[in-house]
Amino acid sequence: ADGKRDVVDPEVRAYVSSLVTALGGSGADEDGRYVLGDDALACLRDLKKWLKLYDEKANRLDVARCLAESNLVGGDLLQILAAWPENATDDRLKSKIALACLELLVPLTWPLDKNSKEMTVNHHRHVPYLEIAQLGYKRSIINFDGARILHTAIRCALPSMAVDMGDRSTRDEGIIKLLLYFIRNIAMIAPPPNVQYEGDEAEISRSATIDAFDYQDVFHLLLTVSSTIGEDYNTQDVVVLDILFHLIKGVDIEKLFLDEKAADNSKMDELVRLRKKEAAMLRSYQTNAPTRHNRFGAMAWLQREDAKMTTISGQAAVTDSSRGLAKMDATKKFKPPRRALKGDNGPMDFDTPVHLSVQATKHLRAFVEEFLDSGFNPLFNHIRKAIDREAERVLEYHPRQFFYLISWFLEAERVRRRNKNPSKVQKSAVSEEVDSYSLVASVLNQEMFVTLNRAMDYTFEHKSWQDLSAAMKCFTQILLTVHDMSESPLEDDQEIAENILNRIFYEETTHDRVANITRTYKDQGFGYLDSCTELSHHYLRILEQYSKQNVDLQVRSRRRVRRKKKAARASGQDEADDDIVDESEGEDTTRAERTSHERKFEFKRFAARFLSQGCVDTFVTFAAYYNDLKSSQLKRAHRFFYRVAFKQEMSVMLFRVDIIALFYKMVKGPEGLDPQSSSYKEWDEFVKQILKKCTRKIQERPELVVEMLFSKINSTAHYLEYGYEKQTVTTK
Amino acid sequence: SKGKSAAGLGIDEEIEVTRKPRAPRVKLDEHRLLSKNGIPKLRKKAKNLKFKGKGHEYSDASRLLAFYQLWLDDLFPKARFLDALAMVEKMGHKKMMQSARMEWINEGKPHSGVH
Repeated sequence: ADGKRDVVDPEVRAYVSSLVTALGGSGADEDGRYVLGDDALACLRDLKKWLKLYDEKANRLDVARCLAESNLVGGDLLQILAAWPENATDDRLKSKIALACLELLVPLTWPLDKNSKEMTVNHHRHVPYLEIAQLGYKRSIINFDGARILHTAIRCALPSMAVDMGDRSTRDEGIIKLLLYFIRNIAMIAPPPNVQYEGDEAEISRSATIDAFDYQDVFHLLLTVSSTIGEDYNTQDVVVLDILFHLIKGVDIEKLFLDEKAADNSKMDELVRLRKKEAAMLRSYQTNAPTRHNRFGAMAWLQREDAKMTTISGQAAVTDSSRGLAKMDATKKFKPPRRALKGDNGPMDFDTPVHLSVQATKHLRAFVEEFLDSGFNPLFNHIRKAIDREAERVLEYHPRQFFYLISWFLEAERVRRRNKNPSKVQKSAVSEEVDSYSLVASVLNQEMFVTLNRAMDYTFEHKSWQDLSAAMKCFTQILLTVHDMSESPLEDDQEIAENILNRIFYEETTHDRVANITRTYKDQGFGYLDSCTELSHHYLRILEQYSKQNVDLQVRSRRRVRRKKKAARASGQDEADDDIVDESEGEDTTRAERTSHERKFEFKRFAARFLSQGCVDTFVTFAAYYNDLKSSQLKRAHRFFYRVAFKQEMSVMLFRVDIIALFYKMVKGPEGLDPQSSSYKEWDEFVKQILKKCTRKIQERPELVVEMLFSKINSTAHYLEYGYEKQTVTTK
Repeated sequence: SKGKSAAGLGIDEEIEVTRKPRAPRVKLDEHRLLSKNGIPKLRKKAKNLKFKGKGHEYSDASRLLAFYQLWLDDLFPKARFLDALAMVEKMGHKKMMQSARMEWINEGKPHSGVH
């Protein structure tokens, strides 16, 4: 801005800065108070016109840049808003000016779209600068000393919100939307990836945002809007969705629901655990570290066949042949070309974990609980309908947020329940007071399943992996919730859960979809890998439990249905076609035995879909991250391999050199699992079994030595496993 | 005309720039895999592979992995073990490899009269 070679047309800059100057200012005469210029309102309107008619129309961002450089937000707008005291709400001029400020703040904080194809040279020039400027806006807005800016913004919209939905003018609707978008923008602004923010990160972090939202009553606003959606609000649903998404994405639910004392403890535990992990890493390094100085110069050679030798330097090779081989491998330079993982690092990414301060955790938890109690059903039901009917306001990214938020809140609800009654022993005693699952019922109905299935199909087909990932997370959490419901002491819950499970159990298209998604993983990024392995793990597990459901339980459920029908009949609602009423107990038992037998067979057939090499490879890729996985994730991989090898007796699928090498490394290192960790033991046991089976198989069938190198097709695998061809009966 | 070009000190003559063709990159393809040093050698050497069995699972596995590693190092020295394994696995989907694999498996099968 030194006058020479300016990036912005000097005339534009002159106009804009003269407007900013005329807006007002603070001077020594007024003790540093901010004083409005004579024609402040007109100035604000002119600035808005500049943004609209120059920047937006010509698609330039020049005015935004000038405004960022002249510190309009921190120097003027926030000062003006702060000077609107609570008791002066009736002052027409002041409220008009406040609204005009808000009208400028929204476009200035609007998310900058970097990926659109319409980016011009000007965009490339200004966007990096504006991104940093927006961080500054956010910092000064949520940390403003003199007043609660967000709260003031809410006050601008209160008169419009007080009007009944039917009586609101377009202007009223516009003001409400303006406010919600302002909050969305504030929640959304975050340092872009690959940019080092120079200020204090803590001032714009998620924790700071949550604290500000709590202190400035934004949470109340969100609760009000979401709990009365459909009655007092209608089209605002997607903006609220947007706000919630940017507020909670990446927040760890388990940590959120730890109480403060436990949180302190868990912080200590965390520290202890990390120190232990570090110590284990050091230990494993030290066992392999050289014992003498680095110029000691030991050299070993490996006698190969045909009088060939391989030389290896360093002591490692002298002591241990396998470490010698590792060293030989490590010195090779060639790397085959590799494709990068396709993750999402933009603002719509939800896989990056976020840390919250103790204070923010408390605030967010309170909000989440209230939201679950009042806003969950109305909001998500409303949005589901909007998505189904493809309403115009539903943008491309909304379904992703929708599914992610449902998965997040369902998990929150489950964790909350678990914490509420930790001892399951007492549940019979307090069964009167148990809450039903009606608080989250809106996402467990048939319509939701239709929407979800359609979304999974569509995103899978169109390869929009992050959207699919969100939908899978949602499905997983629904399954887990239904599963919890089936163990609820309330009969109604049990019945609903049983109906849902029954439907899923016989839905072949869903089976195919889950198996297909798992089978086709290919560099979609770790978040996707995590979601798809999680889904298939729980899907298999829950359906297996359902198929094993004992005869006794089924008899009981039939008895329950009968009782209900009887009651219905007694109350006069006769139904002619109930086949259950007239059966006796004995018939119930035989019927139940037959069903459970059928289900076992069904399940076996279904589980066989996960025996393909593709599914195994997906889980191998997942397990290869073993050093970064949590114990629940390690368990997931363990159970899958265990299922393949022992429950379904296709261990041959795991007999491939790279898989064996991975298993070996996980247990024996170097850089293996920590022997003190809980997962180590079960992996050790499992790997030992697999290795035993593998060596035995090689001796039994020497062909396996070659096949160990390749992926096996099913018929080959079957032959290697059992020693005879699979009988292929074609009945169809 | 010959004299003229000589007077021009050969400047007008076109000089042919010949660059030595780059040595073809060695690839781990199916031909290499099926060559004498490839899988046939692996099968031959496998006959000497001995395992100790129960109680020695890990040492057996380490021997098995070393067996493959050394074989691959002979066959395709420049790639690391796991990279080379991935390349070999990829080759397994080729037609030629598939039929060869089928043959090796059939060799091991008990001979039945019906064919």
